[in-house]
Amino acid sequence: MRQTAAASGKRASVVGPSPTVASTDGDTAAVQPARASTPRPPLGRRVSGWMFAAVPTGRVAAFRTLVYLFVALDPLWFTPWVRSHAAIPGVFYQPLLVGRLLHLPTPTPPLVNGIFWALIPLAVAAATGRAPRLLGWIVFALYFEWMIIAMSYGKVDHDRFGLLVALAVLPTAGPARHGGTRMTERGGWALRMTQVAVIATYFLSSWAKLRFGGLGWLTSATLERALIRRGTPLTDLLTSTRWPLLLAQFGIVAFELSSPVVFFVRSRLRYWLVGYFYLFHLMVMLTITISFAPHQVAMTSFLPLERVRPIVWIRRFLRRLSDALPRTTTEPRPHDEPRPPASSPAVVDGHR
Amino acid sequence: MGPLRRQDSRTANANRVQAAGVEAGLADPGAVEPHSGSDAEPDGGSDVDRPGRLGRPIRLIVAFVVAVLVLYGTVAGQDDLFPFGPFRMYATADKLNSPVADTHFEIIDTTGATIQLTEVNTGIRRAEIEGQLGRFQKDPSLLRIIDDAYVTLNPKAPSPVRVQIIIRWYALHDGTETGAYTTQTVATWTPPGVTK
Repeated sequence: MRQTAAASGKRASVVGPSPTVASTDGDTAAVQPARASTPRPPLGRRVSGWMFAAVPTGRVAAFRTLVYLFVALDPLWFTPWVRSHAAIPGVFYQPLLVGRLLHLPTPTPPLVNGIFWALIPLAVAAATGRAPRLLGWIVFALYFEWMIIAMSYGKVDHDRFGLLVALAVLPTAGPARHGGTRMTERGGWALRMTQVAVIATYFLSSWAKLRFGGLGWLTSATLERALIRRGTPLTDLLTSTRWPLLLAQFGIVAFELSSPVVFFVRSRLRYWLVGYFYLFHLMVMLTITISFAPHQVAMTSFLPLERVRPIVWIRRFLRRLSDALPRTTTEPRPHDEPRPPASSPAVVDGHR
Repeated sequence: MGPLRRQDSRTANANRVQAAGVEAGLADPGAVEPHSGSDAEPDGGSDVDRPGRLGRPIRLIVAFVVAVLVLYGTVAGQDDLFPFGPFRMYATADKLNSPVADTHFEIIDTTGATIQLTEVNTGIRRAEIEGQLGRFQKDPSLLRIIDDAYVTLNPKAPSPVRVQIIIRWYALHDGTETGAYTTQTVATWTPPGVTK
């Protein structure tokens, strides 16, 4: 729901560093210029207001937890092969520009294993939200080096830009508690930059297609090659004729080039669009087994994550369970002591 | 300056914004979470946590610099510019009637079995082999890296007697796979001590 000053019929006094007011739907694009009798603010200031649109701290806390838990899981589950590079001779190492500029050492077992064993516990610690700045910068540095190692052996992945941006901005997002309702512009900026990185990945990948493949990419056999290389049983259904893949190529470019529209729609439609993005990745996973998992984690920056409260839900479930158990397992007797409050953590089965 | 002190210093300003919102007919801008209900753990009232005096311009400058780097990487850069390189996954255009390459790296072990190698049984990704294909072609002895990686991760498996990189060229007709393919051996190497 968006309400403007003009809608109230009253004169709005625009104050503060940015002539914007937060709307009441709690979404990340929910800051818009306050219409008043004063002239419309300049474009630069409106863009700045958009970039710093305030969000609830609960959303930042949830996003932070999700991102850092993924980072803790990544070396174990998604990129375990990076650790294997520790044993590969340095002759196979092809340092990236950033590695050469920073004079990063050739990966060795102590270096790679050291990062591995430091990154996982520190990312878990960062996921708790404690010391967000200190832990955030350390985790960013460790994960960035982990990624530099990963990409320095002849293959660079293109699914991590959004996640790296998220890791770079989360230390600046300030303190945030799960369920917190206080609004934060610092956190809003962090989420917005992650969103921009996610959409830039889509939009600029189409640009890359036009650069390297030209307009001919649209009618090329590129998806056929992808299916031959990485296909699944599902792809047999798609490769019998050319038309599904041809349409898919047009669809991919149309989707990627139009993805920025997600910033110009209201929250309900935006969630539908983001859901469509996830559906796209599901199809990619089912057909050519590329997960884009880090990108998908970064894309949660579009979602009202503060509504996802697993610990609260578990507590509530346990509370209801503890409320229900005494009624079903014990008969109340006149000399029983009054039942303790259900919210007491000491109550697990109706008895202290 | 700690973030909490920063919050205190701007409380008055934030309250003015909140007041403006109320005056404009908005609901309390700080209370945007009608769903939060009893789950919410209010963390300091309804004021807004803002960047410091330099925080906003610094953030804008950093965002601008990163945007320029990414745009440069997309327009003129290569993968070497990671993380600012072009997002070029499957960005080349394959011809509709030319064969497409499917690279494999594999070993033949002492039992005569051919084992397809992957990042799981070697720790090396196929795309990394493809990325350095020219080096393997020029100096096949580099395949010892693959041999060592496989033996390290599979110490109980039968020993390799040959390591090779092959490319299967799948024929296409009008953009569709015909089922026919030819095999090109790019590089092959025999571990020392193995009788050819």
